[in-house]
Amino acid sequence: MPCWYYEKKELRNTPSIQDGIDYETECRYRKEGARFIIDTGTKMDLGYNTMATGVVYFHRFYMFHSFKNFPRYVTACCCLFLAGKVEETPKKCKDIIKTAKTLLSDQKFLTFGEDPKEEVMTLERILLQTIKFDLQVEHPYSYLLKYAKCLKGDKNKLQKMVQMAWTFVNDSLCTTLSLQWEPEIIAVALMYLAGKLSKFEVVDWNGRLPKHLRWWDMFVEDVTMDLLEDICHQVLDLYSQANNAKAPDSPPLVSTHEGNREWATIPTANDVAASAPATPNKISKIEVTSSTVNGSSNADATDGSKPVEIPAHFPPYPATFTPSSTAYPPVFPPTNISVPPPSVTTINHIVSAMHPFNSSGAIRPSAPALAPPTFQPFPYPAATTYFQPGNPAPPSTTQRAYYPP
Amino acid sequence: MNTKEKEKYIEEFDFPHCDESTKYEKVAKIGQGTFGEVFKAKEKNSNKKFVAMKKVLMDNEKEGFPITALREIKILQLLKHENVVNLIEICRTRAAQYNRYRSTFYLVFDFCEHDLAGLLSNVNVKFSLGEIKKVMQQLLNGLYYIHSNKILHRDMKAANVLITKNGILKLADFGLARAFSANKNGQVNRYTNRVVTLWYRPPELLLGDRNYGPPVDLWGAGCIMAEMWTRSPIMQGNTEQQQLTLISQLCGSVTTEVWPGVENLELFNKMELPKGQKRKVKERLKPYVKDPFACDLLDKLLILDPSKRYDSDSALNHDFFWTDPMPCDLSKMLAQHTQSMFEYLAPPRRPGHMRHPHHPVPGGPAKPSSSMADSGYQDRVF
Repeated sequence: MPCWYYEKKELRNTPSIQDGIDYETECRYRKEGARFIIDTGTKMDLGYNTMATGVVYFHRFYMFHSFKNFPRYVTACCCLFLAGKVEETPKKCKDIIKTAKTLLSDQKFLTFGEDPKEEVMTLERILLQTIKFDLQVEHPYSYLLKYAKCLKGDKNKLQKMVQMAWTFVNDSLCTTLSLQWEPEIIAVALMYLAGKLSKFEVVDWNGRLPKHLRWWDMFVEDVTMDLLEDICHQVLDLYSQANNAKAPDSPPLVSTHEGNREWATIPTANDVAASAPATPNKISKIEVTSSTVNGSSNADATDGSKPVEIPAHFPPYPATFTPSSTAYPPVFPPTNISVPPPSVTTINHIVSAMHPFNSSGAIRPSAPALAPPTFQPFPYPAATTYFQPGNPAPPSTTQRAYYPP
Repeated sequence: MNTKEKEKYIEEFDFPHCDESTKYEKVAKIGQGTFGEVFKAKEKNSNKKFVAMKKVLMDNEKEGFPITALREIKILQLLKHENVVNLIEICRTRAAQYNRYRSTFYLVFDFCEHDLAGLLSNVNVKFSLGEIKKVMQQLLNGLYYIHSNKILHRDMKAANVLITKNGILKLADFGLARAFSANKNGQVNRYTNRVVTLWYRPPELLLGDRNYGPPVDLWGAGCIMAEMWTRSPIMQGNTEQQQLTLISQLCGSVTTEVWPGVENLELFNKMELPKGQKRKVKERLKPYVKDPFACDLLDKLLILDPSKRYDSDSALNHDFFWTDPMPCDLSKMLAQHTQSMFEYLAPPRRPGHMRHPHHPVPGGPAKPSSSMADSGYQDRVF
């Protein structure tokens, strides 16, 4: 399998950057694409694993292609479409497109061309080749829950910490962290961050050995504080990015500098709570800011400074093409991701959906979503003849010619 | 990019992770898998290595790349074992105008010279007892491995058991395979019931069970084992009902005494279950099998109640594999045969013999009475 992890300097030399897009703009495109996958997936009741898989495909895709050549929202739909099948929560292509249309401005939807479905279908083959059919992707969520189970301490505080870490993982999808670090390390770092912000200090844990200085030494090796802080700042920068009008330098390039940052400068949950609505809304301050920026067409690579140009499209299927009547079976029961987050998560998260817990709240996997991906029964075409009409009729006598009755 | 530029871009983009299928040269068509044709091909470079290429049929896919093919790829990428067919890579044809800028994909496997159905249909191929043991031992090792990885094969049959010229057995065609999980918090699995080629289909599936597990593959292993001596599938029913009747005639009546809980299966009251049948697995197989350990193991694999049926671990510990003659290498015997033997290429065993285990119920509407795995076989000409 190819290596899907990159150095920071490689992330500053992507096909898009070589194509003349600046680094900050690429980061924004990635964030918008990831965001859009999550919004579309949430609206379609898809589980967090499906959405996260789609986002990882999206990030990997743009390590080989430029945002100028492939408009991000079409790619995003394609990634979600493929992830749905891979995670056994298939959605029809036309339904994804329909949902996408409700979330995009007319102008952005123009990038889907005259036949959006054909556009996505053709792109799917390019996507599969680009990601080398490396379909199975792991996410920090499962590690987060696994690690949390080992931690000792106040159950209530622990749960709040995990809830917060969970939303950080959601938000981390908008960064290129999945292209830099294994999900285990991201889980550790964002639990560390959530622990700091929710004032949950881990002093003891199950399975502790004398050589373990920190709880995560049980699960990951050689993770320095510099690295953890760098990962945390890449996520936190999302919030400052959204709050500041000007583009910040994110993700941070030099980790030594990051290590010197004071934790005190990071807004704590309480600080944020004071300046944010008490109940987090779907549309937070951050989102309003960023969507205003997104709305301006001259910032779009595909549009450039020229008037909107309707992009290229693929020839449609020939008229002789007869679609089969096969329909996907009902999807896997949706996970309970629409539960409003507990009040601890009043930080302006980029991604407000996808929650780990049911409202009841004990730390446990939220039912089916955390189980290993369950396969769907094969959808049998309703009116398919499996055998050619010309087949010889079966002999009416017993078949066991080689075996005595 | 405008259309022209985009087409050119796709045509010229050199996907670093996905080679072109032109690196192989097709030699012959050797079969028809779950979702496409299978070819024997030769690597064009200096290796000259033979491979099997399975084409992914996508022409009629309304929903893009088939979910069944994605499953098979995921499962094959997970399973790496000597007794499981090895997926080398996935290749593509170059997108160009002639294919409307849509690549075709091929799964590329290590080539295996024979399949078990092809070998068994050739009277010149003779297996000694030690060689049969080796075949079964490898088959059960493969099953043990895939079941440990929480994968069900769901299409065990002689044609899906490949054997290399060196005598290494490989389980193949994971087009129907799926992951399974133990029932948690009382949740019952609802897997599709329409799997496994009829002649190898276990009684629980015929009775509508949707919460099945590894025992479905062990039943198939039992059928294949018997076939090592009978040289032909032992229960060749034409319909689900007939298959169940044949099973009852061999394994005894399906009753709540021998199989507690069977009454809860969906079709228990809908299918006609022959009454008063005695179990005669050993008695009827003895004329062929002779070896008492072999008969005993067959008796343990062909147990009606899936919870009592031997699993691959118990089967591998059976005296059959640990008594003389011990399992022995197949390569010497296979070296006497220079031709590849595949069921797909084999001549019919007798004129008019309908080898296909499935067809529509006579007089009934044309409905798929089979596992979808066989849909590909419809165009066979004998």
